Amino acid sequence: MAADLRFAKTHEWARTEDDGLVTVGISAYAVEALTDLVFMQLPAVGKRVQAGESLGEIESVKAVSDIYAPVSGEVVSVNAALPGALETLGSDPYGGGWIAKIKPDDAAQLAALMDRAAYEALVKSQPH
Amino acid sequence: MAADECLGDEALARGGPVVRVYGWTATTVSLGSFQPITAARDEPAIAGTALVRRPSGGGAIVHGSDLTYAVAVPRSHPLGGRPEALYTAFHAALVDVLSELGIAARMCPAHAPAPAGVDAFFCFDRRAEGDVVVAAPEGNSGDAKILGSAQRRLATAVVQHGSLLLRSATGVGTAARHPGLYDLQPAAAGVPPGELADRWLDRVARGLGGRAAREEGEFGRGRDARISCLAATYASSRWLTRR
Repeated sequence: MAADLRFAKTHEWARTEDDGLVTVGISAYAVEALTDLVFMQLPAVGKRVQAGESLGEIESVKAVSDIYAPVSGEVVSVNAALPGALETLGSDPYGGGWIAKIKPDDAAQLAALMDRAAYEALVKSQPH
Repeated sequence: MAADECLGDEALARGGPVVRVYGWTATTVSLGSFQPITAARDEPAIAGTALVRRPSGGGAIVHGSDLTYAVAVPRSHPLGGRPEALYTAFHAALVDVLSELGIAARMCPAHAPAPAGVDAFFCFDRRAEGDVVVAAPEGNSGDAKILGSAQRRLATAVVQHGSLLLRSATGVGTAARHPGLYDLQPAAAGVPPGELADRWLDRVARGLGGRAAREEGEFGRGRDARISCLAATYASSRWLTRR
């Protein structure tokens, strides 16, 4: 898990790229909790989202979960190959398992997200 | 579906699990969240049957002769963590209740073989870990699934709903009819649905170290505005044909 990631309480991760875009995915913990993944709905390119709003959905054998936008902005690209290769979310959640890139309205929103240490503490505190 | 989603709000307000049990005024098929609408329209066994779409996943369920439940818990609750915790709480409790009636029910292990494959259209033709099964009718191999559940995990709450099949559905084709608990186990048929639900929920509550407190009446009363708003979404063609 790279040190430059920030995390939402809903288990999404976010990384600011050199071009200012924010890449978004879901954490290894979230993927593992979902177990066998069967379907994913990506957001539409061009969709505007507010932080905390549903960005997309993912279905596993166990449940359907929303994927929440960690920052407000416009979706400028999505990982179109991902729904056809859901195993990537498990094998490479912080790299090839990226879900969408958002052009943020306010890059400072990332500062409100958890750093890696805080997120790991959150995961440890989750009901098991 | 709208009322089920509102259960999440109620669970947060109360800080613990809230359950509603309900029936259907007409035979209705609920599709899983991402089941293709074309699969429903191409299934002759349910031609002309009312269709709705759940916010949770899984296969299609024919409602009308089942006991439908929905439970919501805050994400912070012990049952709001791993998905299997909430499944187990309800499914294991039913197995225990049936055992008291002399009925040998069990929860499916992971990767149990499904009669019609993992992607079967109907929920009761699929098998998932934790599904409750009883012995199939004489002359049939394998087990018959009588309880399946599915979750929608929201940001602050988990909503799980499920169908306990009591009798084979009517008004639909053969492929849509699956034997229910009363069809398969005469010992259960002497326990009316309401009493069965009471016993089941009491067992769930005891498993959590508590007691079930009942509130009679319609859940929607007092929540009309929120439910109306959500109901408009769930009743829309856009929702039904989302995939």
